[in-house]
Amino acid sequence: MLSVLLHTTARPSAQDAGPDRRVASYDIDVSLDPATRTLTGKELITWRNPGQIAAYSFRLHLFWNAFRNTNSTWLKQRRLIGDTPFANRPADDFGYTNVTRIARVHDDGSETDLTKALQFASPDDQNTDDRSLAAAFLQDAVQPGQVLRLRVEWTGRFPKNFDRTGAIGNYFFVSQWFPKLGAFGSGGWMAHQFFANSEFFADFGFYDVRMTVPRGWIVGATGVEQSRTDNGNGTTTHRYTQGDVHDFAWTTSPDFIDLRQDYEAPGGAPVTIRLLIQPEHRHLADRHFAAAAAALKYFGEWYGRYPYPALTIVDPVFQSDSGGMEYPTLFTAGTRWLSPRHSNDPEYVVLHEAGHQWWYGMVANNEVQHAWLDEGLTEYSDSRLQFVAFQPNYLVQRFFGDFIPWQYRDIPLQRATDTNYLNTFRRNPDRDSLSVPTAGLWPATHQNISYHKAALMLHTLERMHTWEVMQRVLSVFFTRFKFQHPTPDDFFAVLNEVTGQDHAFFIEQVYRSSNTFDYAIERVVSEPIEARGLMESPNGLTFQEPQVEGQFRTSVTVRRLAAGQFPVDVLVTFRNGEQARQQWDGRGRWAVLEFDRPVEAVSAQIDPERHLLLDTNNTNNSRTLEPRGDAAATKWSLRWMVWLQDLLMNAAFFV
Amino acid sequence: MRPDEALPALKRPGGAASSGTASLGPASGGAVGGAFIDGLNRVTRAPWLVIGVWLSTVLLALPLAVLLQQQIRTHLGASMAAQSAAEGVNFDWWNEFLAQTSGVGTSFVPAILGFAAVLENLSTFADVRSLPTVIAIAAAMQVLMSLFLAGGLLDRLARDRAIGAAAFCSACGVYFGRFVRLGIIAGAVYWVLFSTFHGWLFDDLYPSLIAEVTVERTAFFIRLGLYFVFALPVLFFNVLFDYAKVRAVVEDRRSMIGAIVAGWRFMRRQPIAVWALYKLNVFLFLLVLGGYYLLAPGAASPNAIAFGMGQLYIVLRVIVRLQFAASQIALFQGRLAHAGYVARPTPRWPDSPAAEALLK
Repeated sequence: MLSVLLHTTARPSAQDAGPDRRVASYDIDVSLDPATRTLTGKELITWRNPGQIAAYSFRLHLFWNAFRNTNSTWLKQRRLIGDTPFANRPADDFGYTNVTRIARVHDDGSETDLTKALQFASPDDQNTDDRSLAAAFLQDAVQPGQVLRLRVEWTGRFPKNFDRTGAIGNYFFVSQWFPKLGAFGSGGWMAHQFFANSEFFADFGFYDVRMTVPRGWIVGATGVEQSRTDNGNGTTTHRYTQGDVHDFAWTTSPDFIDLRQDYEAPGGAPVTIRLLIQPEHRHLADRHFAAAAAALKYFGEWYGRYPYPALTIVDPVFQSDSGGMEYPTLFTAGTRWLSPRHSNDPEYVVLHEAGHQWWYGMVANNEVQHAWLDEGLTEYSDSRLQFVAFQPNYLVQRFFGDFIPWQYRDIPLQRATDTNYLNTFRRNPDRDSLSVPTAGLWPATHQNISYHKAALMLHTLERMHTWEVMQRVLSVFFTRFKFQHPTPDDFFAVLNEVTGQDHAFFIEQVYRSSNTFDYAIERVVSEPIEARGLMESPNGLTFQEPQVEGQFRTSVTVRRLAAGQFPVDVLVTFRNGEQARQQWDGRGRWAVLEFDRPVEAVSAQIDPERHLLLDTNNTNNSRTLEPRGDAAATKWSLRWMVWLQDLLMNAAFFV
Repeated sequence: MRPDEALPALKRPGGAASSGTASLGPASGGAVGGAFIDGLNRVTRAPWLVIGVWLSTVLLALPLAVLLQQQIRTHLGASMAAQSAAEGVNFDWWNEFLAQTSGVGTSFVPAILGFAAVLENLSTFADVRSLPTVIAIAAAMQVLMSLFLAGGLLDRLARDRAIGAAAFCSACGVYFGRFVRLGIIAGAVYWVLFSTFHGWLFDDLYPSLIAEVTVERTAFFIRLGLYFVFALPVLFFNVLFDYAKVRAVVEDRRSMIGAIVAGWRFMRRQPIAVWALYKLNVFLFLLVLGGYYLLAPGAASPNAIAFGMGQLYIVLRVIVRLQFAASQIALFQGRLAHAGYVARPTPRWPDSPAAEALLK
């Protein structure tokens, strides 16, 4: 047997955390059988009760049981929107986690078998067929500060390349793979079944994991590799450790190209960026590294430095369905064989998943309840970073089976509207509110709400307060809640504190309600100021005809067309170039604003700086007395006509 | 002796067959290169055909373009968003419009821009993507109009001389009924190819072929191979129906089944020439596409230039389409057609009492 100690042993832990934050630690041995796509594992869970109350039971997540059969809560939720991914799958494609033995380990080393006590639980939807959460009562409660040790043995079978988990060919992406405790808070266990919308929530701890895979296969995992042992039977065991993380994911394949670059922030410890890239994407390696380095640099400067010694990027294989997912110190990216420069693929996904190292990885909100908090903050962050460091970013569309890319050099994507996904959001802006627990969001619009609306909300806040203020908000939020589990209320409290303003009205309108926003300029009229009728004069009241006073009165009728309310500015531009601005509180359904000037107005805009990015109809936000709608309509209809003629010529080909 | 086995013997003025062969012999039309050049010459000598076919696309597209223009104008209203939309691309407004529009407006997508339009349309056929209803109706109208014009176009190209509008329309009318019958057969064949065969290739076979594929490039080449497999019968039948129409016109055939059989016989006996000519024409088509790829106007190009370039591209496509027909006619006439070579029964005198009366 050959055992190799690797050079990175010295830096297994995050630098800013400590043992006091380590609530749930895992010591795991697992082996992979690629032929049967199964894992066989043993783990020792060491859990310290971090709450104020005793724990009389424990909750154990068995995530792969979401793919056990079509009665699982996960698949039933998917079925709500007509998505039946396992409807025609063969038996081998289903996955499972089977706990074969579980026991409580006492201080003297003796064990109490709890296998029969372990029962499946479905506290969220009472679906008795669901097997994604299990629970067992303890004979002796675990008092606050006390430690519970559980020894668990299990087998698991990978589902076939499905929803960020699974295997295809020789590529194995191993996530949510081990029986894992729920989080414990002041109110007790916070453990939920596995829902299609929701992601994960767990306490921080220390992971020491030994993964046995076929010899020669490359392994990437959360943390840092400590040793590699050749078992002499065609397998190799890779040991990785990492402290102050709340999850552990790994991947293995013989086909990865293993590349590394070091990144060192000014005044910070070096970070080894490891890229496990597919051979067909080798030419895109530099773009992965550049994006990862930009994330470490900018997010480090904006929010707080990255404390771990390693960051591993996994480039998933084609059709693995495992791309674009975050795990502590490791994430999956995902790109295409043909990926034009100046279109942010793979940069976007690298920035986004790297951003999750801050929002999710370190600031670990409950993703089952408030996924918007990490997804929204991350989308907002990656969108900003794309704008700062990766411009231009042109629209790309793919043809011929979604393979051949075409880059539209006429359409550079904009941060406010495109990388915040306003264009996606506006199609379904009101299906749910952000305050709805994530697991209960309508499955088809979860992304629209948790990602896009949240990012638009945050960008709206930035436009209200400036980036410098928003950066300070996020920096304080990060610093205060690093290695903790903040809630939305914590975020809004920091927002109020840093800005010195009460955002209750904003939160009510944007966060708690599903209201949409649509402000419009309905009418702009500039007329000479005239008056006729009975006027005061030395002779008393006398009738006078209109008298032009050399002034024009511009009346701007503004409307609130949707339920959402937001204070907005109205900007009027006059023929001499002068501009005038008034604020409207935006609460009424309409208002008429008047401006007296020596010249006529030429245009009026409501919310001219577009602070309210959630206004889904921006075209009606302005009105000019010199409209160019005809010119634009003629131009675009003629361009469109050439497309149609080309299509007609294709049809004529068959005659 | 079957007609196909007859050798060109007599050349005299008269019907489409004889007049077509009057200007060329086996040395020009008979050789593939000669047929290709002769076809181009015939098209360039028939500018009104080019103009007419181009106008037919304009006539079909323009009303819908006007409809779209009204939709866009209504949506923009007096908004200041029109300014940037008029001068370049206002992608935010565009997306807002797409989110709110219906009917013809739903087809107003970024893929209409420049060369992307070509990719989009080719991809639509290759992947058999559905079209918005109003666009599908326009395409069906184009097919119908092409069926009507085909007789006149082929007759004019076969005669290779000006025939006048009346004769052109007459030929259109004469062959319309026949080509509708041919179109029904062709439609059925293409239906099977584009629905059943394409569905089997790309909805059943392709997913099963790539089920375990973990390399995108491999999947792409598998798909490319399937495009090739799909294209083979499509092109085969396309050429078959082309030659069926050629023989229907040149030989004044009335039975379209007979024309298809005759077209097949010609293809079978002249496979190298038929396919070599087809390749030359495809090459010409690709040249036109290549030119448009290089010169396609951007969104900020002045309207007149952008529209002019777009219409020039459409005109070139019309020329290529006519070139396919003209060169196939030239090849057929150069190889087989001759004055006494018609499929219809020999007319018996008198044709009609009226004709008889005239001769008295």
